[in-house]
Amino acid sequence: MIAYAANLATIVAIFGILAATLNFVVGFAGIFSVAHAVFFGLGAYAGAQVALHIVPDALLACVVAAVVAGGLSLCLALPALRVRGEYFVAASLGLQMMATTLFSEAKAFTGGIGGLVAIPRPTLFGMEVSVLPLALVALALILFATALLQRGAFGRTLQALRDAESAAEALGKNVAAAKTLAMLFACAGAGIAGALFALHLSFVNVESFTMDQSVLVMAMVIIGGTGTLWGPVIGAIILLSLPAGLAFVPFIPATEVGAVQQIIYGLAMTLLMIFRPAGLVGDLSKGRATA
Amino acid sequence: MSGPQIARRALMGTALAAPFIRPAAAQGGDPYVIGTLFPMSGPNGEYGTLFTSGAALAIEHAAQDRMLRRPMRIQAEDTQALPQQGVIGMTKLVNVDKAHYVLVGFTAVSKAVAPVGDRAKTIMVNGGAVGPDLAGLSPYFWNVIPLAHLETQAFLPFLMQRNLKRIALVYVDDPLGDAILGLLRTELPKTGGELAGTFSVPRTAQQFGPVAARVRQVRADAVYVASFGAQQAQIIKGLRDNGIRQPIVGYSALSIASVTALPEAEGVIFTSQKFDYTGGSEITRRFATDFKAKHGSEPGAYNANYYNAVRLFALLAKDLEAQNTEVNGDSLRATLLRVREFDLVGGKGRFDDQGNMSADIQVNEIRGGRVVPIA
Repeated sequence: MIAYAANLATIVAIFGILAATLNFVVGFAGIFSVAHAVFFGLGAYAGAQVALHIVPDALLACVVAAVVAGGLSLCLALPALRVRGEYFVAASLGLQMMATTLFSEAKAFTGGIGGLVAIPRPTLFGMEVSVLPLALVALALILFATALLQRGAFGRTLQALRDAESAAEALGKNVAAAKTLAMLFACAGAGIAGALFALHLSFVNVESFTMDQSVLVMAMVIIGGTGTLWGPVIGAIILLSLPAGLAFVPFIPATEVGAVQQIIYGLAMTLLMIFRPAGLVGDLSKGRATA
Repeated sequence: MSGPQIARRALMGTALAAPFIRPAAAQGGDPYVIGTLFPMSGPNGEYGTLFTSGAALAIEHAAQDRMLRRPMRIQAEDTQALPQQGVIGMTKLVNVDKAHYVLVGFTAVSKAVAPVGDRAKTIMVNGGAVGPDLAGLSPYFWNVIPLAHLETQAFLPFLMQRNLKRIALVYVDDPLGDAILGLLRTELPKTGGELAGTFSVPRTAQQFGPVAARVRQVRADAVYVASFGAQQAQIIKGLRDNGIRQPIVGYSALSIASVTALPEAEGVIFTSQKFDYTGGSEITRRFATDFKAKHGSEPGAYNANYYNAVRLFALLAKDLEAQNTEVNGDSLRATLLRVREFDLVGGKGRFDDQGNMSADIQVNEIRGGRVVPIA
């Protein structure tokens, strides 16, 4: 049971990082990206390649993954500078579709649909380590950095952009730099999550980095509470542990297990958004429809 | 805190904890746990139901025959055919449910769970995915289905005999499709055939009009479809709707209901493991009769493969029980490598050193929504 709980906690921590970094651009900067899984994937492939071909050092894998994903965040930052709102959603959707195809086709880097197998267990300073403590430390650091940035001038600039971009620009805020840096931070964080994911699963393929995964991470942010520090982490815990908990319900027949679990899961999510529209940690006064 | 508040919280706590309360740890008379990691919901849910029904029937038959001292029970985990869900499910099966034997399907899930099973020394058995890259994933990972390239190899003499020499290949861009492409490229010329054209399709593609137009241009004698799941029906419909009249051929993935029930699939020819449900062995006839009585339809290859997977466990565990040896991954593997050949549905199943089964291959044709063996 401990090993199962540790495995679930590892995945929750990894998705907590993903959700927290997506929240940084969605909740604080108002950039609605549905391509976060792309940077998760880039980090996963980069981390896996380091582990497979150089050394399975977790720190090196995370640094390389952050550099690759952060560097390529410009692919998302460029459209973010030109369009906003629903137009940016469409642009990020295009990036997600293109990246999924590239992940399937760039076989030398990604292994194609077959993916990369036999990724070695991670080490730290030459000793084999579990991914759980690494993921928890990474999550804590990212939450700490988010809290620092949120309270500082950079965070206030981002929130000004989110609430009134033209007004912020008129007041002399450097919109391009702020958006680019926000994307860089979020995508580098997603890359770190990807590297940890690859080291934990010992296998990665494109099916973990599709549009569905981006939507799942967005759901974690919304259900937890957009623009809050702890909301995305709570969202990750709820969305990952609810199906895991439903797997313990003993009376579901083997052939119906999936359907029953999906119905209960969907119903729980719907009820949650009806009664907590601003998310579990969000401001209760927000999100409700008014007559 | 007032009394009613404490009572309400205690009640809520109990209710929330109820699903996690499990019986005490496994005892000698407790069932053998057969874990399943199948997609039970989502677009591939059809496969999970097919796989599970075969496994469940094997458990029933083993109980009727009193093959084992302990009963078997299925512990199902829904993977939705996704690697991440597969790893969560496999970790639960190994660490919480203490599964003795885990049935898996789908290539990506199989690859993702193989390291978990390898570390836990738990046997994992695939009876659904046929990608050649599944061979040798782990000493504890076995295949009870002939992998696709073996099926295709056995199919070539039949194609030549039918004078279907120029083959156009429509293949999904993944290891399965690549393996069949590689095999047809090298083996088809050796048998006197020719690969007239190759057409790669993405896994998610649903429209095949442009592919059909290009297939028509190469004037092939037959079109080989190397895909799987619901996409196969879309490819066949796309080819027929766009005027392709040549025979459509393929491998065992075509034996699913969404293909066989398709009017455009009439006459499709494909290979599968040999299952003679009327004139075959007693095990095969019993399986077919009872499956039809239970489900009202003829069994398919996937039903039989997962029946065989569970029957294989029962045969191995029976051998171990007779020697008073504990049933675990190592003892099951040692017995498999010692015995090698087993009486399964369809005939003898023979296993190599890596745990890959080879079996006789038959050629089938879809006629009136049914799968009819023709060679």
